[in-house]
Amino acid sequence: MSAVLVEARGISKRYPLVSRRDARLRALAGLLLRRPGGAAHEVLKPLDLEIRRGESTGIVGANGAGKSTLLKLLTGVLTPSTGTLAVHGSVGALLELGAGFHPEYSGRENLRMAAALAGLSPEEIRERMPGIVAFADIGDYLDEPVKHYSSGMVVRLGFALVSALKPDLLITDEVLAVGDESFQKKCIAWMERYLGDGGTLLLVSHGMYHVQKLCSRALWLHQGRVEASGDAFTVTQAYLAWHERQGRAAAQSAATEGAAAEYRIAGWRVDGEAGTGHVLVDGADRALDIEVELVGADDRPPVLLVGLAQAAGLPVYGISSEMAGVVPERLAPGRYRHALSLDLAALLPGEYLLRLHPMDPEGLRLFGTTEVQVMVRGATREMGTVRLAHRWRT
Amino acid sequence: MPQQRLGVLAELLRRDLKHRYLGTFSGGLWALLQPLLQLAIYGYVFGTIFRARLPEAEFGELGFITFLAIGLWPWTAFAEALNRASTAIVDNAGLLGKVALPRPLLVVAPVLAGFLLHLAGFVAVLLVLLGLGWLEPRWSLLWLPPLFVLLAGFSLGLAWLFAAVSVFVRDFTHVLAQALVLLFFLTPVLYPRSLIPAGLQGLADANPMALFVALFRQAALGVGDAGPAQVVAALALTAASLALGLFVFRRLAPHFEDFL
Repeated sequence: MSAVLVEARGISKRYPLVSRRDARLRALAGLLLRRPGGAAHEVLKPLDLEIRRGESTGIVGANGAGKSTLLKLLTGVLTPSTGTLAVHGSVGALLELGAGFHPEYSGRENLRMAAALAGLSPEEIRERMPGIVAFADIGDYLDEPVKHYSSGMVVRLGFALVSALKPDLLITDEVLAVGDESFQKKCIAWMERYLGDGGTLLLVSHGMYHVQKLCSRALWLHQGRVEASGDAFTVTQAYLAWHERQGRAAAQSAATEGAAAEYRIAGWRVDGEAGTGHVLVDGADRALDIEVELVGADDRPPVLLVGLAQAAGLPVYGISSEMAGVVPERLAPGRYRHALSLDLAALLPGEYLLRLHPMDPEGLRLFGTTEVQVMVRGATREMGTVRLAHRWRT
Repeated sequence: MPQQRLGVLAELLRRDLKHRYLGTFSGGLWALLQPLLQLAIYGYVFGTIFRARLPEAEFGELGFITFLAIGLWPWTAFAEALNRASTAIVDNAGLLGKVALPRPLLVVAPVLAGFLLHLAGFVAVLLVLLGLGWLEPRWSLLWLPPLFVLLAGFSLGLAWLFAAVSVFVRDFTHVLAQALVLLFFLTPVLYPRSLIPAGLQGLADANPMALFVALFRQAALGVGDAGPAQVVAALALTAASLALGLFVFRRLAPHFEDFL
């Protein structure tokens, strides 16, 4: 039993570009003569990775970052273009839907093949089959071709197989999200037992919650390169922060597009301060003074929609001047000013987004979004987003 | 892990055999029926319509059907193995992209399955011919199984080669199917080698399948001049085919995924 399960040094993956007709022939000749070359697309830049027994690792990254390629290299489906890869111990993979199941063959036949691939002898396969069948719990479908399965059944079968093989390293991606509630519970229970018994998990997930909960380490891939690696919490935080920056950049460009729109925000102030995009609110002072100057193409008073959302985007509250029946102050022809005071006293400490949307006078069409980050500071042990009025009866 | 490979091969073999006859009404019977039908039609067309007669000096009283059967079975096994194996990798593209499995076995399975089925058919036909008295029993008949194994090895080497190449050059499969039909007529299966014009016999002997057919006929019918030299040549051809096939396959296998 080696302590290091996976040892990768400088592994990379290049895909040859084979859109031209003669490229395949050239590639064939090049490979036979051991002459590297030809145009290639590098989807994974050389990287080092070490996974120790019991040290579950999460891989995070945007789409196309090379996560799946890395997993395929580790499972041995792909051969690295450069570098060395040593895997000590058995590897089980639960990837995509129907990973490795042949659609034409029955579930039972597919199980037998997978078990043979894992190195089980025919007797061992026969012994473990009832356990697998019971775990999968798909009834008579077991002897039907896999192509007739629902996606949930395929996942059940795959998970049942992995649970019987108990690999040293379990590689999985988002598949667990597919099964139904009761099966998910079964999977999670099994996963906890597996990890408790010293199993090691390599998880690719877009859910940071899962990575933080199940993994001690994490690797962030960005455009085929390792952006960060190390402690799971630190890496996922950095990844989330990057995502937020991306989102804000997108929102800003959307806001500039709004400049050409019929109604737009010409300027805004929060607590008397103009356009920094960032407001800090301390526990004592919890009302925001919001002033927004709107420009309308015609000389009609535009509507202002004000919303407050959690940093992750979940709305907390929203109201428009049209709902409130408020008419803005006219500063000049086509220029109007909305002003309101937003009481934040009910908000619990955390990060929020204040969103300002100009709307047409009818309050029907939305013209762009301006976001202001609102940081509410404070110390409390209460949980959630808002403080609901309550009293304890004793 | 030789045990693991054996288990995987057994599963692949089982799949191959099952898939061949999955959904067919006659099931495994077709394996015997198809070459029998082919034999009957060839026998009818060439024996009855074209009145093909074997040179008496060489073959004596031997009937055309018996002569044909001895050459036809090895050829069918060979051609079918190559045709099926050349698509073995491309057909399993979905599996290759998701599971790490010993790739040479994907080619071994169809070749082995085909040869096993045709060996069974061959034995059945030989027994029928013996029972009808169309084929004389002789000790050299015992050479047939080892010859079959040798031919299987020769075919496997080529199958590896073609399976790997057809990943890169997709039209190769179609070219191969056509080429095998042509090669069938160029190989002395429907006619004895002695009917080939003397000037072309040297060229015809360059065809490895001519060598194998000659060995089969020598063993089963006691005709021809195949001897130890031909056996050595067949052994050398098989070794060369296996070595070349495995070499090319191993070199190309890590890159299959990039071209599938």
